Amino acid sequence: MRTVVVGAGLAAARLAQELSDVTVLGDEPHPPYNRILLSAVLEGTHDPAALRMPVPASVDLRLDARVVEIHREDREVELADRSRVPYDRLVLATGSIPTLPPIRGLVRLDGRLDERVHAFRTLEDCRRLDAAVPHARNAVVVGGGLLGLQVARALAVRGLATEVVEGGEHLLRSQVDARAGAILARYLTRLGTAVYTGARATRLTGAGLVLDNGCTLDTDLVVLTAGGRPSTALARRAGLEVRRGIVVDHHLRTSDEHVHAIGDCAQHGDQVTGFVPPAWEQAGLLARHLRGEDVAYDGARTVARLRATDLDVAVLGDPERAAGQVVEVSNPVTGTHRKLVVRDGVIVAATLVGDLSRIGLITQHYDRATVLGRHEPGELLTNDRPAPPVALPDDAEVCACAGVSAGRIRACASVDEARDTTRATTGCGGCTSAVRQLVLEGAPV
Amino acid sequence: MKTHCPYCSLQCGMTLAREGRALEVQPWPEFPVNEGALCRKGWTATGLRGHRERLTTPLVRDRATGELRAAEWDEALDLVAARLRKLRASYGADAVAVFGGGGLTNEKAYQLGKLARVALGTSQIDYNGRWCMSSAASASNRAFGIDRGLPFPLVDVERTDVLVLVGSNLAETMPPAARHLDRLRENGGHVVVIDPRRTPTAERADTFLQPVPGTDLPLALGLLHLLDGMGAVDEEYVAARTVGWPDVRRAVASWWPERVERVTGVPAAELRALATLLAGAGKVMVLTARGAEQHAQGTDTVLAWIDVALALGMPGRPHAGYGCLTGQGNGQGGREHGQKADQLPGYRMIDDPAGRAHVAGVWGVDPDSLPGPGRSAYELLDALGTDGGPKALLVFGSNIVVSAPNATHVAGRLADLDLLVVADLVMSETAALADVVLPVTQWAEETGTMTNLEGRVVLRQQAVAPPAGVRSDLEVVAGLAERLGHDFSADPEEVFTELGRASAGGRADYSGITYDRIREEHGVFWGGARLFAESFAHEDGRARFVAVEHRGPAEPVDAAYPLHLTTGRVLAQYQSGAQTRRIADLPDAGPYVELHPMLARRIGARDGEPVVVATRRGELKAPARVVDTIRPDTVFVPFHWVGANRLTNDALDPASRMPEFKVCAAAVTA
Repeated sequence: MRTVVVGAGLAAARLAQELSDVTVLGDEPHPPYNRILLSAVLEGTHDPAALRMPVPASVDLRLDARVVEIHREDREVELADRSRVPYDRLVLATGSIPTLPPIRGLVRLDGRLDERVHAFRTLEDCRRLDAAVPHARNAVVVGGGLLGLQVARALAVRGLATEVVEGGEHLLRSQVDARAGAILARYLTRLGTAVYTGARATRLTGAGLVLDNGCTLDTDLVVLTAGGRPSTALARRAGLEVRRGIVVDHHLRTSDEHVHAIGDCAQHGDQVTGFVPPAWEQAGLLARHLRGEDVAYDGARTVARLRATDLDVAVLGDPERAAGQVVEVSNPVTGTHRKLVVRDGVIVAATLVGDLSRIGLITQHYDRATVLGRHEPGELLTNDRPAPPVALPDDAEVCACAGVSAGRIRACASVDEARDTTRATTGCGGCTSAVRQLVLEGAPV
Repeated sequence: MKTHCPYCSLQCGMTLAREGRALEVQPWPEFPVNEGALCRKGWTATGLRGHRERLTTPLVRDRATGELRAAEWDEALDLVAARLRKLRASYGADAVAVFGGGGLTNEKAYQLGKLARVALGTSQIDYNGRWCMSSAASASNRAFGIDRGLPFPLVDVERTDVLVLVGSNLAETMPPAARHLDRLRENGGHVVVIDPRRTPTAERADTFLQPVPGTDLPLALGLLHLLDGMGAVDEEYVAARTVGWPDVRRAVASWWPERVERVTGVPAAELRALATLLAGAGKVMVLTARGAEQHAQGTDTVLAWIDVALALGMPGRPHAGYGCLTGQGNGQGGREHGQKADQLPGYRMIDDPAGRAHVAGVWGVDPDSLPGPGRSAYELLDALGTDGGPKALLVFGSNIVVSAPNATHVAGRLADLDLLVVADLVMSETAALADVVLPVTQWAEETGTMTNLEGRVVLRQQAVAPPAGVRSDLEVVAGLAERLGHDFSADPEEVFTELGRASAGGRADYSGITYDRIREEHGVFWGGARLFAESFAHEDGRARFVAVEHRGPAEPVDAAYPLHLTTGRVLAQYQSGAQTRRIADLPDAGPYVELHPMLARRIGARDGEPVVVATRRGELKAPARVVDTIRPDTVFVPFHWVGANRLTNDALDPASRMPEFKVCAAAVTA
């Protein structure tokens, strides 16, 4: 049973790892790498050599292999060089295509992008931008979504004066509410990155990027991060059902039972996910399904995390659209905004900005659909307060190793006496300072 | 009389002094591992001497009444030997099985293996050490080509820069060891503790990470990912002293911190901070213990942490590297001399023809007469009384019905035996089920060697005469061997000398060690105090990186059993408690259920009032202990009492055959 995977991204790599007899067709010249880390590479916190994904030697991995057509009736795909690759099962992992915003001047008269303009999707994009950074003083990032903020922080950490332009009324508008967006904008501003929300870039000129609010941002670099759309052209031409993405069922199967789709190009129910963790999850699930395990995909439980230094953001599910009761604690003074959407005791969505101290627990509850008690959502958003120090009661155990209470030590005149008569301090030694203190307390004034 | 504590693998040095008729524990300050310090278990260790529950006569179950009655030694041993012979004649040699313990001396472990392979001719021998550090053992063998818990003296801890303790609560389980931790911190070092509970050990740490039980493995993968990403891998060391890094490097490329956070419940920022700490440290020491090891993926978990140590270039470097904190008193020696199903003395593998020939030569038997590998501990118990499984079981130094996982099932298997023989000091829960109970000597009443967690062979010396009517395990084994037509020594020093010859040339070679040397040198390390300075024990001298993947607990939580259950020890008790629960000076409040205030409020539990913990295998009712030191999605039950292991999962690690004691799915109700 030959499985052919179109696309050599993260999801394809995982699938190839977990199945035998696989051909992977990638249109990039690089073997599969972890795209999720590109902003960290740009920031300089991750070695680009450590991006490469494992591909078992048994996998037939073909690079620079662009698929131009699917011949479903022959069960073959056709490559740009007109050669054909037969399949028993086809998996489309074609990802998404960045959309060019309607900004005049992005494309020069000769049809090429203005040299100041960068996309940020592939390793090539990352390298090109990385190479441009040392020669630039400043940068404008178009798009205030997750990727945009990551790139903006990366460029700022690299020492560029960076500005973010977001057409919507606040940052991360498809994930969080206005208050969270405002808190984020304040963080960025404090970190030295200017934020323009409700402003659209309209034109790129020699003077800079012109916004519809009248500002012109003088800039050496323009990075476009404003969205992408599922890459569905192949599937559409092949006559597969496509709406926003390639429509798949709970086995990630398209309208052709021999063709599956995973990752950014797929649409399950109403959901097109558009980022790595769900694609990764789908790949794992599809591998199990194709191996014959009885598993079904019931939609992604997504946790979107901003990967950027000094910006703490997590979005679980879709907090702005999920139905349920909202429990939230917002503190603009400290810059924290935390919100849980709870339905029948289960956290169905959440936003955490500025304080991720409980994220490890909240994501566990979310992923496992733990049924919480009535008080629990509130407790999860209230930080533990350290108990004030109190005098130890006489029956409190001070030395666990020897089982000695505070009272017995208070009755001793010296540390030596405590050691000799009670054996306190003779085990792990952890109580030595407490014993010294208690002996002093017990001493007559 | 200089000797060592009867309990854990630290084997603290102590002095036993006669004060009139009493026997008193006093410090032995010169012994370097504990420098005179002891915990309350050590200080009260003589409490079983003259105890009214001490067994002093063999007991045989009366066929008519079903009750145990007193018997003479000859009657009891004759009976056992006759029935073993008969079962062997009817069902073959593998119808008789032997179950040993990690608390037995080296001499006993060796003699039990010889009893099985020579006098009984059975392949069916294993021991409770399989449930202790076997995952670390199989990982160390794989990575380094040798398995010694710590490849350096414990005191080296004080001189490292960053100490990472993964799943160890040593401040409670081996308290005097915590002194080395404190000294490390006084020296400016940094202690990291990784545990689902903020234990007393964690309270002494500079950094504490609190992962979901069963996720130490992805935590290590996440660290490797970050270390590689930040360029902190010691490429020179990796190139010169290891093989396998490229596979590990690719495998960890997909363990980005936010993915690790989601799986482990450890915030990505904490993981990054730890990676930064390790990357900046000159010397890093990683020590694992049961928390990381007692999993169906225990071997892989240890391998992942060894990968971290190797990537940083630490193993073989002074005051750095990887080690396992062994649990039982002779967990180390117990696994080296042939009571393990797949091993012969000297850590020789039983399927290695050269090893078989050597050991058979020492034993004066034909190598072909030695049986092959047998079942691992849990698989052995699971087969008892079944078709093709053993019909008789001889138990030494183990209280199976308290310490085995899925204990209700195991008790059922014991009940299906034709013959259960238990040698013990007291009527343990397992002895109470036996057909024949043989009363044996305890620690201060006999002599023998133990190998502590550092691979240091120490001598426990007899300080007092045993009560009338009891025999040492060595005498019991010799008595059985004699009745089966073999001449075994019961003299510990003679047995040790023979053990030395049998182990000579093996991976754990004791041939140069004598009782006199042990007395003179404060114990003797087999293989030398520090290993790996020049090379590792694989043929090419290089350590192995092993790429591993996270599979997760065998029994994930679900709607019916939504909580993680984990188990562990308390300071004042040891193992199944057969000894410590009977010592009047040690508090014995019974088991309890530790849970977080948020969970307590959810289910309506109150501190001190009973709750019921249920898993797919059983239930336990015990008082709640509401503490904010545990993860709110996890409950903890100590395992020294009957109950905890009725809950635990018997899923096994494919390499080490370690059961998954440390995580299963549970429900708790008030």
